[in-house]
Amino acid sequence: MDAPVYYSRAEYIETDTGNKVSRRATIAGPQNIILGGKTVIASGAIIRGDLRRTGPGHAVVISLGRYCLIGEGCVMRPPYKTYRGNFNYYPMKIGDHVHVGSGSIVEAATIGNHVEIGKNCIIGKFTIIKDCAKIADNTVIPPNTVVPALALFAGSPGRFVEDLPESTQEMVEAHTKGFYTRFQPATTER
Amino acid sequence: MAPSVDYYCPCLAASPHPPPPHLPSSSDSFHPLHNLFFCEECDAVRCNRCVMVEVSGYYCPNCLFEVPSASVRAEKNRCARNCFLCPNCRNTLSVVPSDPPNDGYDRMSPIVSTSLGEPPFFLYCNHCRWDSAQVDITFEKPTGLAAQLQKFEDSAPEALEFDRLKEHFEPFLRASSSSSAVTPSSSHHHSNPITAAASSALARDIPGVSKYNPLSRSRSGRDKSSHKADIPDYKARMEVGAAAGMGAGGGEADLEFMRHLETVAEVATVEQRWVNSWVSSLHTDDLKPLRIPLQSKKSKRCPSCRHILIKPEQKAQSVRYKIKLVAANYLPAISVSLPHARAALETMKRSLNRSAAQSEDQSPAAAALLAGKTYSFHISFTNPLYDPIQVRLKKAQAMPAPGTEGAGEKAKRPPFQVNLPSAAFPIAAFAEAWEYEDDEDMFGLDDDDDLDGLGRLQKDQRSKTRTVGVVEKRANVTVVAGEVILTKESRGNVKFNMLVSYTYRSDDPDPAEENAMGTPSRHASSKPPEMKNFSFYTVVDLGTIAPREETIHDTDM
Ligand SMILES: [Zn+2]
Ligand SMILES: [Zn+2]
Ligand SMILES: [Zn+2]
Ligand SMILES: [Zn+2]
Repeated sequence: MDAPVYYSRAEYIETDTGNKVSRRATIAGPQNIILGGKTVIASGAIIRGDLRRTGPGHAVVISLGRYCLIGEGCVMRPPYKTYRGNFNYYPMKIGDHVHVGSGSIVEAATIGNHVEIGKNCIIGKFTIIKDCAKIADNTVIPPNTVVPALALFAGSPGRFVEDLPESTQEMVEAHTKGFYTRFQPATTER
Repeated sequence: MAPSVDYYCPCLAASPHPPPPHLPSSSDSFHPLHNLFFCEECDAVRCNRCVMVEVSGYYCPNCLFEVPSASVRAEKNRCARNCFLCPNCRNTLSVVPSDPPNDGYDRMSPIVSTSLGEPPFFLYCNHCRWDSAQVDITFEKPTGLAAQLQKFEDSAPEALEFDRLKEHFEPFLRASSSSSAVTPSSSHHHSNPITAAASSALARDIPGVSKYNPLSRSRSGRDKSSHKADIPDYKARMEVGAAAGMGAGGGEADLEFMRHLETVAEVATVEQRWVNSWVSSLHTDDLKPLRIPLQSKKSKRCPSCRHILIKPEQKAQSVRYKIKLVAANYLPAISVSLPHARAALETMKRSLNRSAAQSEDQSPAAAALLAGKTYSFHISFTNPLYDPIQVRLKKAQAMPAPGTEGAGEKAKRPPFQVNLPSAAFPIAAFAEAWEYEDDEDMFGLDDDDDLDGLGRLQKDQRSKTRTVGVVEKRANVTVVAGEVILTKESRGNVKFNMLVSYTYRSDDPDPAEENAMGTPSRHASSKPPEMKNFSFYTVVDLGTIAPREETIHDTDM
């Protein structure tokens, strides 16, 4: 059993649904961001909910599922493109049980469930990552890449390395749930 | 490196005992639990090395189109839609029009799908900026590019040669598949008339290739030799050797090219040329875009009884399985930890006031294993079955290998002693409830309890009264402690083989249920219990013993 991961109680805000968001994270445009519950946003992370599609009304810019982790210093920024001469941002949708390692920059369009992204990765604009895929540490995924389900990608540019085991879903789920449970306020501050 | 436990699959060995763990080759026989399968029919663990693999469907990894097997062959195992790899860096290429970019940044950004595209179109890499116009490949329309490229591919000399070979062997292929009712699994068979014919052709045309002799590999090859005489000699389209001179340079031309090189980048790397089936040009500027190779979904069968262990759902991007018999549903999950290392890590984290999600992989000097010391280690067992099990552990004796090597290996045995609990210990049944309860309850530990536990252990270590036995029981997890005594001369990894035996209640699996659920042994049944025993080997790696000088150095810093 892995040891608890302690955080300073003063640093994190816990929501009703169990999301834990560091006060040292930059959450821009929070009204455009959805957190599914039991999701952790670590300190130094930047989430750009403010980069929304032009036009009136309310828009979800970034949605994250349950049991996600946005590691320290990550940047989550919605992808953009100029289409028919109009510049626009497009929403980013992330499923459940997705961990993004520290220092990674993500501009994906869609990330499925049970996806692991390593540390110091760059996930290019409009990337689509399917369920149970894994991106190794220090990988650069160029814009528009499709990462199929149960594939491990690594390198620069990120390329297919191998198929992941059939039990990946269970393993990732156990890991993300375990992480959330181990992520506890430091006892000294009780 | 964190301590680890891997499981043994005896598939490659004649003896049921695993190889000594200090042999580098032994790592081939040990696997993480989640990579293993379990055959109920054989009551045995299976691994990716020994299972039989069958393709259950093809798809393009880029456009995710599921390609019917009928067209896979015609399209040469590559995507026939608009999916291409950059020949320079293997990134996926985009189709871009040649109208002037709105701003200099546009080619970098995915404006590709713009409708005001003007011909000619070309393929562009947004990673390394290679484009197909460099090699004079442009398109009038942004659609059907694969078909246009395949035309080039199909007229290449190697493709024509291959077609001719296929044509030549077609009659024998048909004859052999009709005569002997070939099952899909017979592809494993090394000797059939086609291989024999191909081999004799190869042996004649390529110097240094010896004739393939099926008799040396398979007993069943004998009767096949009669077929071989029926195959006439194959006449190549082009003489061997002539191919090298074809536009691919070779010899003088290559030499001339190399002499006038200005940058290394002008020469295509081996990796870039590797996928070509024939001799290819050395020049980077001759590289052609590649249609993306298809990938497949795979079914897996037990090598001995042929029962299906893995059967994926048809849909290419589904991560569900119709049948999934993985070892993790049968064998207890084992993890190992060193309490002293964990305590050291905790102290370090707190003293440095590390923030929470900080990396856990740095280990302080206090966490090291030192020669001449004794350490306690914890092994945690998690029961996946719906019934309680009794587990017994035994450290495997270093097996003297049959033959002369035995004595030498024995002398090199790592100089440490391991004490494991000798008595059997119980692990409670897995209950679905534990999964659905709130996670906090699942782990059942309050921080304070945890600290008490650590404190007690530290005390134990100080007072030199070490416990070997059960340390903790909660839910379907039991933790036992063992100890390892390192001699002063100890070096290398503390690695040993451990035999795990467990008794469980067996209910004869209902075949109907087996297909429906995939994990029949998880079902509690009302039948009278019958106890069964299952044993498997593991290798426990506690980590590397720190050389003494280095440790002193570390603590100084
Ligand atoms: Zn095996
Ligand atoms: Zn495709
Ligand atoms: Zn490229
Ligand atoms: Zn079997």
